Amino acid sequence: MTQPVLSVRNLEVEFVTRRGLLRAIDKVSFDIAPGEVLGVVGESGAGKSLTGTAIIGLIDPPGRIAGGEVWLKGRRIDNLPKEELRKVRGKRIGMIFQDPLTSLNPLFRISEQLIETIRTHSDMNEAQARARAVGLLTEVGIPAPEKRIDSYPHEFSGGMRQRVVIALALAAEPELIIADEPTTALDVSVQAQIITLIKKLCRERGTAVMLVTHDMGVIAETADRVAVMYAGRIVEIGPVRDVVKHAKHPYAKGLMGAIPTLATAETRLLQIPGSMPRLNAIPAGCAFNPRCAEAFERCRTDRPEYIPVENSQVACWLYDKRQTKREVAA
Amino acid sequence: MIPPLAQSAALVTVRDLRKTFDVSKPWLERVIDRAPKQFLKAVDGISFDIRKGETFALVGESGSGKSTVARMVVGLLPVSGGEVMVDGVSMSEVANSAARELLRRRIQMIFQDPYASLNPRWRVADIIAEPIRAFKLLDTNKDITDRVGELLTLVGLSPLDRVKFPHQFSGGQRQRVAIARALASNAEFIVCDEPTSALDVSVQAQILNLMRDLQDRLGLTYLFISHNLAVVRHMATSIGVMYLGRLVEVAPAAQLFSAPRHPYTRMLLDAVPDLEMSGRARIPVQGEIPSPINPPTGCTFHPRCPLVNERCRAEAPLPINGVACHAVEEGRDGAMELRKRA
Amino acid sequence: MTMAASDTPRLTLRKRLNDSDLWLSFKASKITVVAAITTVLIVMLALLANVLAPQDAFDPKMLNLMDGFAHPMERGLGSGNLFVLGADAQGRDMLSALLYGTRVSLFVGLSSVILSLSMGVSLGLIAGYVGGRTETIIMRVADVQLSFPAILIALLIFGVARGIIPPNQHESTAVFVIILAIGLSNWAQYARTVRASAMVERNKDYVHAARLIGIKGFAIMARHILPNVTGPVLVIATINLALAVIEEATLSFFGVGLPVTQPSLGTLIRFGQQYLLSGEWWILFFPALTLVILGLAINLLGDWLRDALNPKLR
Repeated sequence: MTQPVLSVRNLEVEFVTRRGLLRAIDKVSFDIAPGEVLGVVGESGAGKSLTGTAIIGLIDPPGRIAGGEVWLKGRRIDNLPKEELRKVRGKRIGMIFQDPLTSLNPLFRISEQLIETIRTHSDMNEAQARARAVGLLTEVGIPAPEKRIDSYPHEFSGGMRQRVVIALALAAEPELIIADEPTTALDVSVQAQIITLIKKLCRERGTAVMLVTHDMGVIAETADRVAVMYAGRIVEIGPVRDVVKHAKHPYAKGLMGAIPTLATAETRLLQIPGSMPRLNAIPAGCAFNPRCAEAFERCRTDRPEYIPVENSQVACWLYDKRQTKREVAA
Repeated sequence: MIPPLAQSAALVTVRDLRKTFDVSKPWLERVIDRAPKQFLKAVDGISFDIRKGETFALVGESGSGKSTVARMVVGLLPVSGGEVMVDGVSMSEVANSAARELLRRRIQMIFQDPYASLNPRWRVADIIAEPIRAFKLLDTNKDITDRVGELLTLVGLSPLDRVKFPHQFSGGQRQRVAIARALASNAEFIVCDEPTSALDVSVQAQILNLMRDLQDRLGLTYLFISHNLAVVRHMATSIGVMYLGRLVEVAPAAQLFSAPRHPYTRMLLDAVPDLEMSGRARIPVQGEIPSPINPPTGCTFHPRCPLVNERCRAEAPLPINGVACHAVEEGRDGAMELRKRA
Repeated sequence: MTMAASDTPRLTLRKRLNDSDLWLSFKASKITVVAAITTVLIVMLALLANVLAPQDAFDPKMLNLMDGFAHPMERGLGSGNLFVLGADAQGRDMLSALLYGTRVSLFVGLSSVILSLSMGVSLGLIAGYVGGRTETIIMRVADVQLSFPAILIALLIFGVARGIIPPNQHESTAVFVIILAIGLSNWAQYARTVRASAMVERNKDYVHAARLIGIKGFAIMARHILPNVTGPVLVIATINLALAVIEEATLSFFGVGLPVTQPSLGTLIRFGQQYLLSGEWWILFFPALTLVILGLAINLLGDWLRDALNPKLR
């Protein structure tokens, strides 16, 4: 059993506001193995982007990490001093954000940005770094890279820019890539190309990927495992096929049923009543219980533990075999 | 007034619709650079019909012009060419402004961004009542309040919500308010511009179900704009696929999804992520949408088309049986199937 | 399926106010609270000038020359009244003069702010919503105006008014002329801000929705856009108030503002300036102090308001 690249244990993120303490992420734990793509999926407010930001240590006040641990290849990174963390961030963790326009500095040529990153994290000289940069651009599929490397970001189209961002993220040969909605701003046809690219490159290099998105389709195409988040917690985590086709947790089931696909035409989409609770109004016990059709007494008082069901972990009392039939039926 | 088309009960008829934007640089810069004026053909000759009670979807990626078409149909954007007729009355005829006033009541729009489509300083009651007051549909305040309550119940909110402000609602609830406003004038034809794109998946499901229910109950006709083919699959009776301002294929929904004909349609369908995880074979998509200011010659799709030939580069295809493609016309589109299996 | 109305409970006005970001930020800043209290105090005192002033300072019958130059907290030699802030050369009670003077200054300041606000917001709305040539014209005029100091423009308008109004009416119309002068010199900043906000709002979908049902431009500007552009206007108005009061004082000090018979902080300062070096410091000091405190307090309030309303700083 190889050591996971990323190991998150009981991560907690809080916001200190004038109105009190808000817990945005509440004891989140997961691992990512080398070469694996873990999808973190959830609706807005679930805390998925925040998890990524917390891992790389870029949470701004009034937010802060209030508990838990983040381990990168066996070394703890959440308690590192700022300078150390900065080095880790550049060299060992790469980031791909949603908007390629703002991820790239519009004032500098692509060559300058790529070469700077490469040289910061290796001891290549200018010429070597440039050659490597051209190699990277070829790998991500930019045509005529020796010429285009000297262009500015605005001279590229959206999809091309995102490819450059991927090249930039891979430039320092990181062990982990955190991609936050990398395809949301792109057209469907380009989205497919980018997804394929990310998968291919990371598999080749053995890089672990944490793919954060609200788009289940992208997850289904790209991820090996997926974690479904709700109100700052993971409610279900397992192989992507299991979670997408046979979700166990009632929220995950509702979510999958709510997504229109090319196959379902005449049926009504599944609807989950209500909406995700605000951070200052998270219910006691299981956060999903007010909206759950199958909730019973225990759901309202005790926060569910992770219960293994087939190949997944599900945070739901329905799967606790020790529940007597009488309790469940109530 | 042009007499309505005899054979079909088309509520909305769009013929050869065009929109050109002047995107030239400011006059002084042009004089200095000696540069010519630049025009952007956002919509380049679109024609379709929508029958009463149906949902016609316009699908396309960015730069396809679908939102521009929506705004022209509804009258928010002046038309550069062509015509939009609703129930036989032309939307652009200046002479017939009384008829157009009546028409205004029957056409409404639902916008994409639930945060920008409701005035943040107005109460929900006033927002929904605005069309009622503007068209003088009811007289007394009590009648108006009752009607607002009815509409709120119709879209799944409580009549007591009418005193609230938009920021007290979630995105999905705001979209419901927007739907209530659209229905306030007893509109029959509603243009929906990406109404669920900004919403979470579970909320999207609620809104789409609501829209379908309302359509069944009230006999509404929808023009549904979207980039999401799966959503369109769920809502549409007929679908038009747009690319760089032109309609490349128009077909009934079931047919478009089971037997797409235009290469772009096929590519688009293949690009949709496979939630069913069926592992279906796909054609790899090539290239990206070119800039609409300098579109390719002939068929605008030719740089990305696997079936391109000389004619495609030179001549823009005309729609035949709903498809605008030389390869389909010449019977060459079987080659796409072969490529898939390769 | 009906959504519960209880999703967000109906909050009473008091609870909403108490809970609002604005109130919490106000309470948190001690300086602002002090500034607010000071302003309110001065305004109250000025409003109640009739009641509070021991003497109607500008009624010659009440004056006793023997009281002249009485020191602060001294009894006048002529009438025996206590002059809390001293008396000027004619035996006028400085406290009374100050109260009346502040009232006039505040009146002029407030009126001119209302004038420039109405003008600036309207022009800004029109420029922002209508666009095109109208916008260009309005904005270029605003630009030109902003490149001149407000005082100079006020002087210009004052001079023109002097030329137009017959001499025997100069005094009676002085207040209105000065309000007009200050008001017209300050509208451009409102116009600029409102135009920028209006340009942003006019592209929003709720404006499109209103146009769809046939609402005309004027109604859209007044009912839809105006409520959404008022935020920064409030801040500008507050700071402008302080500036207007000071502007009035400056103009009166130069002798082109209010006449000596109508007291304001400016005329009082002008008056008292002559006596400063001969030892009767109180005639200048108290009006000047009031002007400084008033200006400072209102300015601080404006500062706090700007920061409190700025969503980026929250």
